[in-house]
Amino acid sequence: MRNEKEVIKLIENNLDPLEINKKRKQNLSVSFTPDKTIQSLSFLKSNSYKHLSTISCVDWIDDNEFELVYHLFSYEDYINISVKTRIDRDKATFVTLKEIWPVAEFYERDIHDFFGVEFEGNDNLEELILENWNEIPPMRKDFDTREFVNEEYEWRDYNGQKHTD
Amino acid sequence: MKNMNGGITMDKNTQTEIFFGPNHPGVPGNYGIIYDFEGDTVTEAKPNAGHLHRGFEKLMEERIWIKNTALVPRICVEEPDINEMVYAMGYEAIGDLEVPKRADYIRSIILELARIQGHIFSIGGNAAGIGQYTVMQWGTLARDYILDLFEEITGGRVYHIYIRPGGVRQDIEDETFEHILEVMDDLEENRLPDLDKALYENPNAHKRWKGKAVITEEEAIEMGATGPVLRANGKPYDVRKMMPYAAYNEVDFEIPTGENGDAWDRLKIMREEMTQSIKIIRQLINNIPEGPVKLDLGNALKYRIPEGDAYVKIESKRGEYGYYMVSDGGLKPYRVHVRGASNPLGLYGVTEYLPGTRVADVPVWAKSLGICPPEFDR
Amino acid sequence: MKDKFKRGKWKEFLDWAQNRSLSMLHYCTGCGAIELPPTMTSRYDMSRFGIGPAATPRQADLLLVTGYLSTKTLRRLIYTYEQMQEPKFVVGFGSCTINGGMYWDSYNTIKQLDKYLPVEMYIAGCMPRPEAILDGLLKLKDKIETGEAKGYEEYKENIEFYHKNQEEALGEVQRTQ
Repeated sequence: MRNEKEVIKLIENNLDPLEINKKRKQNLSVSFTPDKTIQSLSFLKSNSYKHLSTISCVDWIDDNEFELVYHLFSYEDYINISVKTRIDRDKATFVTLKEIWPVAEFYERDIHDFFGVEFEGNDNLEELILENWNEIPPMRKDFDTREFVNEEYEWRDYNGQKHTD
Repeated sequence: MKNMNGGITMDKNTQTEIFFGPNHPGVPGNYGIIYDFEGDTVTEAKPNAGHLHRGFEKLMEERIWIKNTALVPRICVEEPDINEMVYAMGYEAIGDLEVPKRADYIRSIILELARIQGHIFSIGGNAAGIGQYTVMQWGTLARDYILDLFEEITGGRVYHIYIRPGGVRQDIEDETFEHILEVMDDLEENRLPDLDKALYENPNAHKRWKGKAVITEEEAIEMGATGPVLRANGKPYDVRKMMPYAAYNEVDFEIPTGENGDAWDRLKIMREEMTQSIKIIRQLINNIPEGPVKLDLGNALKYRIPEGDAYVKIESKRGEYGYYMVSDGGLKPYRVHVRGASNPLGLYGVTEYLPGTRVADVPVWAKSLGICPPEFDR
Repeated sequence: MKDKFKRGKWKEFLDWAQNRSLSMLHYCTGCGAIELPPTMTSRYDMSRFGIGPAATPRQADLLLVTGYLSTKTLRRLIYTYEQMQEPKFVVGFGSCTINGGMYWDSYNTIKQLDKYLPVEMYIAGCMPRPEAILDGLLKLKDKIETGEAKGYEEYKENIEFYHKNQEEALGEVQRTQ
């Protein structure tokens, strides 16, 4: 069973990270460039980090980038590692993870539905949660949900009282 | 002699597609499975999800930090307190705050009461799936006495809005602690032994649950499934012991495990976890310290934390439940991502592990794994 | 011309008999459905008033819309409503059916239920207690007995209005025979 310092040394000796942080007890965060991410995840999986919790995506519209975060956990060290990488927002593509963890197919399908990111190698990217959606992907920061609702639906008339935002 | 099948030979059995749809008493909620079957066995399946999507993650970005505590319990309907707890833990992790001791103890009592009422409801639903309706009626009645306790502590039966960043909303009096201990005694002496005799010693339940819907240890770890699904294979993995939160490192309890990974083991684990939860609640009430129950964080309409991000998780009755929260130093959250405990089971598990079961066992598969659709639809 | 508001003796007898034996479709559409098992079981018993569950839409006459409706569910619900036999009644449950409720600014839920289906009675709350559900259902029984619950006839007369609203909000809707 390793503690946080030994894990930081393991990553620095074998991989090429941009930044490593120890935030709180039993929690680390590491960032890589996009071309080194998949092989780093595969290296961590063979060193007892077998549990993939989920894949998240964050829209940094001011930097014009999307950030993909992979959360891993080990049943021997009891440590959470968050692996981060950044991709371009206008041509948003990335390589799929489904050769290493088959369950990642559905997490990537979810991100494609809500953010519009394409994953090469994953050929099952049809709509999972939304149905017949014709606007831009709804979780992007330039989709305004209150304006969409005021245009599409009408509010109930309570004897002339106005609906306020 | 005429052919018994009326002239139709068995070679003409082709595959049929059927909608085990959202409107069915055998599915746990508003969720569907589309599967092909041949004869009596399922050959291919895929999930039909998204009926309950409300867009929570977008709505949380439009409201200030304190207003989200009223929106968040509605994500998981059967056990709403876990959402409030993880939201508060994420806020405190980014802002580097530490809550008082009495608030930790009260939060643990609320989470254990939520676990007991959730397990009784699940056992009742599973029993109704095999036709034992008496056990469903007894289970729903026992759960109602715990909802009465919640009404005395917080004011609401189902949605409590009680745990908030910095502590809990108000204190509990000594009279209420005595009511909690009376209800725990009543459960342990009268209602849970009745459940044992009517359901767990019934030969019907043995035949319909043993050996069905098996998920092995390698399959569970590869998928990311946790909770009773993983513990039914013999490994005692529980977030309360691996990464302790609230007051769990000050009480003494065991983690029940199973052997074969089938539906019978998962239901036996649910029954034994209730006994352990009653033991935890008694220890917490006898040793609770005095002191304040919340931190003073200033004007509630102007809560603010510095920039940062955090992934926090707790153990719900179905497994690991986590939030990934990002803050940019403003009055509203920048991004909140919800990881439900049954996310891999309801979406990937259906495509990979449902083929091969018989058509009559599909409700047993869907209900005993603890699939809760509002968690992955959000 | 026959006055459509006056009912004859046979219809009066039918209303007296029907309000004492309603079958409710067992379809939990939203988060308000968690308070239905306590209402149906022995503590706040609903079957002493003659209301019981039914499994398929062709055998039911009461449709309980429990809570919010996303657009994906509403397409299936209209298909279900048009399959039920007449006379049939719809009850709106919770404040999400009245004006959008807690999810008023969501891009995926509908805001007013009675533009798409004819509603007899609303029960307010978020979520309503079992005693409030029983109060609402007893008032619905009185309304059926006096012959005022005529939502299904209004649906047939104003069918272009309802179909136009449905197609505007949902796009394409599947119709049953």
